Amino acid sequence: MSDNPYQDDHGNKDASITNTKGIGTMQPAHLKSGPTHKVEGGPFLIGDTMTGGYGKGPDILHDCTIAVDKGEIAVIVGPNGAGKSTAMKAVFGMLNVRSGAVRLDGEDITQLTPQDRVIKGMGFVPQTSNIFTSMTVEENLEMGAFIRTDDFRDTMEQVYDLFPILRDKRNQPAGELSGGQRQQVAVGRALMTKPKVLMLDEPTAGVSPIVMDELFDRIIEVARTGLPILMVEQNAKQALEIADKGYVLVQGRNAYTGTGKELLADPEVRKSFLGG
Amino acid sequence: MTETMKHTLLFAFVGVMILLEGMTDFLFFSGSWNSALVILNMGLISAIMAIGVNIQWGFAGLFNVGIMGFTALGGLAVVLVSTPVIPAAWSSGGVSIVMALVMGALTVVSAVMITKFLPAGKLRMLVLSAVMIVGFIVYRAIFDPAVGSVEAINPALQGNIGGLGLPVLLAWPAGGLLAAGAAWLIGKTALGLRSDYLAIATLGIAEIIIAVLKNEDWLSRGVKNVVGLPRPLPYEVDLQADPSFVERAASWGIDPVTASTVYVKAGYALMFTVVLLALLWMAQMALKSPWGRMMRAIRDNEVAAEAMGKDVTRRHLQIFVLGSAICGIAGAMMTTLDSQMTPGTYNPLRFTFLIWVMVIVGGSGNNFGAVLGGMLIWFFWIKVEPMGILLMELVTAGMAEGSALKAHLLESASHMRLFTMGLILLLVLRFSPRGLIPEK
Amino acid sequence: MDLLNALVALTNFVLVPGLAYGSQLALGALGVTLIYGILRFSNFAHGDTMAFGAMVTILITWAFQAAGIGFGPLPTALLALPFGILGAIALVLLTDRTVYRFYREQKAKPVIFVMVSLGVMFMMNGIVRFIIGPGDQRFADGERFIIKARTFKQMTGLNEGLAIKTTQGITVITATIVVAVLFWFLNKTRTGKSMRAYSDNEDLALLSGINPERVVMYTWMIVAALATIAGVLYGLDKSFKPFTYFQLLLPIFASAIVGGLGNPIGAIAGGFIIAFSEVTITYAWKKVLTYGLPDSLAPDGLVQLLSTDYKFAVSFAILIVVLLFKPTGLFKGKAV
Repeated sequence: MSDNPYQDDHGNKDASITNTKGIGTMQPAHLKSGPTHKVEGGPFLIGDTMTGGYGKGPDILHDCTIAVDKGEIAVIVGPNGAGKSTAMKAVFGMLNVRSGAVRLDGEDITQLTPQDRVIKGMGFVPQTSNIFTSMTVEENLEMGAFIRTDDFRDTMEQVYDLFPILRDKRNQPAGELSGGQRQQVAVGRALMTKPKVLMLDEPTAGVSPIVMDELFDRIIEVARTGLPILMVEQNAKQALEIADKGYVLVQGRNAYTGTGKELLADPEVRKSFLGG
Repeated sequence: MTETMKHTLLFAFVGVMILLEGMTDFLFFSGSWNSALVILNMGLISAIMAIGVNIQWGFAGLFNVGIMGFTALGGLAVVLVSTPVIPAAWSSGGVSIVMALVMGALTVVSAVMITKFLPAGKLRMLVLSAVMIVGFIVYRAIFDPAVGSVEAINPALQGNIGGLGLPVLLAWPAGGLLAAGAAWLIGKTALGLRSDYLAIATLGIAEIIIAVLKNEDWLSRGVKNVVGLPRPLPYEVDLQADPSFVERAASWGIDPVTASTVYVKAGYALMFTVVLLALLWMAQMALKSPWGRMMRAIRDNEVAAEAMGKDVTRRHLQIFVLGSAICGIAGAMMTTLDSQMTPGTYNPLRFTFLIWVMVIVGGSGNNFGAVLGGMLIWFFWIKVEPMGILLMELVTAGMAEGSALKAHLLESASHMRLFTMGLILLLVLRFSPRGLIPEK
Repeated sequence: MDLLNALVALTNFVLVPGLAYGSQLALGALGVTLIYGILRFSNFAHGDTMAFGAMVTILITWAFQAAGIGFGPLPTALLALPFGILGAIALVLLTDRTVYRFYREQKAKPVIFVMVSLGVMFMMNGIVRFIIGPGDQRFADGERFIIKARTFKQMTGLNEGLAIKTTQGITVITATIVVAVLFWFLNKTRTGKSMRAYSDNEDLALLSGINPERVVMYTWMIVAALATIAGVLYGLDKSFKPFTYFQLLLPIFASAIVGGLGNPIGAIAGGFIIAFSEVTITYAWKKVLTYGLPDSLAPDGLVQLLSTDYKFAVSFAILIVVLLFKPTGLFKGKAV
C-alpha cells in the first residue's frame, strides 16, 4: 500500500481503463518556483554542499558538491548506488535539497522547479525514456525547442551537422532507431533549447563500445563550442579521460575531486574504482 | 476517539436513520415501519453485493463493472430453480433447446481447440470459419423451432421452459453458482489476455446477459416478466386470513394488514442478516487465512509474488469468481424479495455503478466498510428523492405560484438522486480517499 | 437474380446506416482515446459529456426555432452546435478545475481517475436529467431526406428504393471534416505535437518545457467538442435520450479498444468496424439475398443472424476476437 491514498491502485493493471505508458514519474522538489537571487562569483553551475533526499525520505546526499565551468566537461563517477544520478537530479531540482544551494550563472536557483530551470538554460538528458518514441526525429527536436519562440531552424541544422545520421532519419519515428541513434536524438533534443549548460545522465548506458566511443567524440565536440557539460558516467575510465573535472562520489559524499588526469593518476582512485 | 468507536458510531448512525424512518415522519422520514424495513432489506442485499465487489477490488485490484450481469444471473437462478416444472415445455422443445445450447458450446470449444492446436495460417482460418459457420447453422436449426414450440405453450402465463420446482432458498446458492460459472468464463478470457481487459469485458458481458434475459422469452419470459415467484415466507393475505395471527396482532394493538407486511418483511430482514453475517464471517476468515495474506501480497507487489512462483492470473481468477458468486447470491435474494423477475429493470447505474459508490464510500479493502457503504448509500439512494423535494420546496418557496421554473424545479427534484450519488462519491474520494472505514 | 436491386437494398439498409452510425461512434471513440492517451484513464463520463453537449445544443435549437431562426433545408441544430460545444467545454473545464486537477497534483494512479470519472458520470447524468428530463427529445428539422426512396425508384426504375436522410449525409460530412481538422491539428501544429509528446512521455515533455496543465486543457476542449458533435449527430440521426447516451459508452469503448486505445486512427477504424458488424449481423438479409441469389436458392426465413437486441453482444464479440489475436488492438494502441 502506498502512503499516499491517491496513489493506491490496489495492484490494478486493467489495460482497458488505465494507461501507464509514458506516465510521469518525476517528483520535483518544488511544484511552484520560489524566488531566485543574484550571487557573485563561483563556477558557472554548482551544486554547493547539497544535503537532501527524495520527498520526506532519508538523506541520500551529504554535503555533496559538484560544479562545472564554461568550456569544461565535468564527470561524476563512483560505484553503484553512490548517488551519482541523485546528485545530478538534485542540481536539476528533483530532490529536496535541505541544505546547500544550486547556482547557475551567478543566480541562486535552489527554489526553482525543473521546468523553470530549463527556461533558465539547463538542458537535461535523462538516462532512460529520453526520447519521444512515437514521434519522428524532427518532431523530437521541435519538442526540444518548445520553449523557444524564435526561429530554431538554425539550431536544428547545427544538431543535424553534429549528428548527420539524424538528418537522414528525420522523418522516421525515433522509437525505430538503434540505441546509439536514440541517444543522439536525446542529446539533440536537449541542445534545441540552446542551453547554457548540458547535463547528461549516463549517455552511454546500454550501447556498444564502438557507439560509446563515437558518442564521447560527439560530446567533446559539443563541449568545444563552449557549452559546459555535466555528466554522470558508468564507464569511469573513458569518461575521466575526456573530463576536465572529475568527481568521485561514495555514499552520497565527495570522495575524490580533481581534474580527470589527476584522478586517473591517483593510485587510490585507480585501486578502488578503475579496477587497478 | 478511537477508530473502533468511530466505526461503531457510523453503523449506529445508519441504524438510527432506519429507526427514525420507521418512527417519525419528521422532514424526509416517512414514519412507516414498512418503508423502514424495505430500506433495510435492500440495504442488506446491497451490503452483500458490496462485499462481493470489495473482495475483488479491495483484495485483488480487479475492476468489475459488470455487477449488474451477475446480479441478474442470480435472479435467473430463482426462476430456473423455484418455478414449477412445465412438462409440456420439456416434451415439446426443452430438450432440443438444451441440445442446441450444448451444440453451441461444443462449437465454441472446438473453435478454441482449433486456435490452440493448429498452427496459425490460412488452413486454421479456413477450418475455424467452417466450424463456426456449420456450428452456427446447426445451432439455429435445432434452436429456432424448439424455442417456437416452447414459447407457444400457454404464453400468457408461461411460454418458457419453467423451473425445477425446488424450494426457493436453494436458488440462492444456485444463483451464486450461475454467477460463478459466468465469471469463470469471463475471467478465463479477459484475465488470460496478454494484458488485463477485465473492465471492458465485464461491462460488455453484463449488457449481453441483460439482453439475453430480455429477449430469450423461452428462458425467463423476457420483458413479459416472471411474476409470483415462490417465497420462503407466507403471503400477507394468508396471514391476514389466519385467525391466530390476527389475534396476535390485535393483542399487540396493530391492525392485521400492517402486522402482516411488517411480519413478512422482518422475516426477510432476518434471513438476509443471517446470510450477510455468514458471508461477512467467511470473507473475514478468508482474509486472515494464508490464502488472504497471499492475495494481499500479490496486490501489494505482483512482481515479487510472481517471482516467488505464485500464479497471479489464477489467483485473480479465483477471487473474481468468488466475488461474482457473492453478487449472484445477492441477486437471487433480491429477486426472491421482489418475488418477480423483471429483466427490463436492470440498469447499470443502479446495479453496477451504485455498488461501486458503496464500496468506495465504505472503504475499499475493508469488508465492514463495504457493509456500511452498502447500507448507508442505499439509505441515501432511497431518501435523496424526498430530501430533494424538500430542498426544492425550500428553494422555490419565494417563487410565484404557477411559474414555469418553479414547476420544473419541483418536477425535476427526483433527478437529484444521481447527482447526489456522484457528489457523495467525489467528496469521499477527495477528502477520505480510503473510505469511511479504511483498510487496516 | 437481380444484382442491381440487391446492391441498392444493401446500400439502403446496411451501407448508409452503417456509415452514419460508424461516424458517430468514431467521433465518440476519438474523445475516449484522446483522454486515455493524454490523461491516461478511460473516461466513464464520456457518454454523459455527449449528452450534456447535445442537451445545450437542443435547448439553443429550440430557442432558435422559437425565434424563427432556421438554417434552410439543414437542421437548425447545426447553427446551435457551436453554442453546445462552448457549453460542453465550459462544463469539462470546470470539472477539470474542481475535480480532476487535484488528483493530477497528487499524482494519483489512473484507476483513481477512473473512479473519479464515475462520480462525474453520476453528476453529469443527474444534471442532464434535471435540466431536460429523462425522456426522448426530438429536435431535427429542415429537409428530412437528401434522396427519398420513391424519388430514387422513379429516377432509376428499380424496384428497390434508396433513401438517404439529411442527418445521415450531415453526419458523414461533418465527421469527415472534424477528423481531418483533428489530424491536421495533432500532426502539424505546435500545440497538437505537444499533446502527442505529453502522451508519449510525460517526464520528457516536462523537461522540454511543455506545460502539462496547458496540454490537459486543450485535450479537454477538443474532447468536449468531439463529444458534443458526436452527441448532436447521434441525436439528429436517431433521437436524444440521456440514458441512450450513457449506454453508448459500451460501443464507444469497444471501438476505441478494437482500434487500439490511445490511437486516433484506431478509434476511427474501430468505430466503423463496430458499426458495420452491428448492422450486418443484426440485419435481416432476406431481401438482399432474394435479389442477389438465383430464385432456387432464395431464402425462406429472415436470414437475420441475431436479433437487433443483441447489437451490444456483437460489438463485444468483435472486441474479444480482436483482443485475442491482437492484444493492443488493430492499430498499435497507446500512442496519440
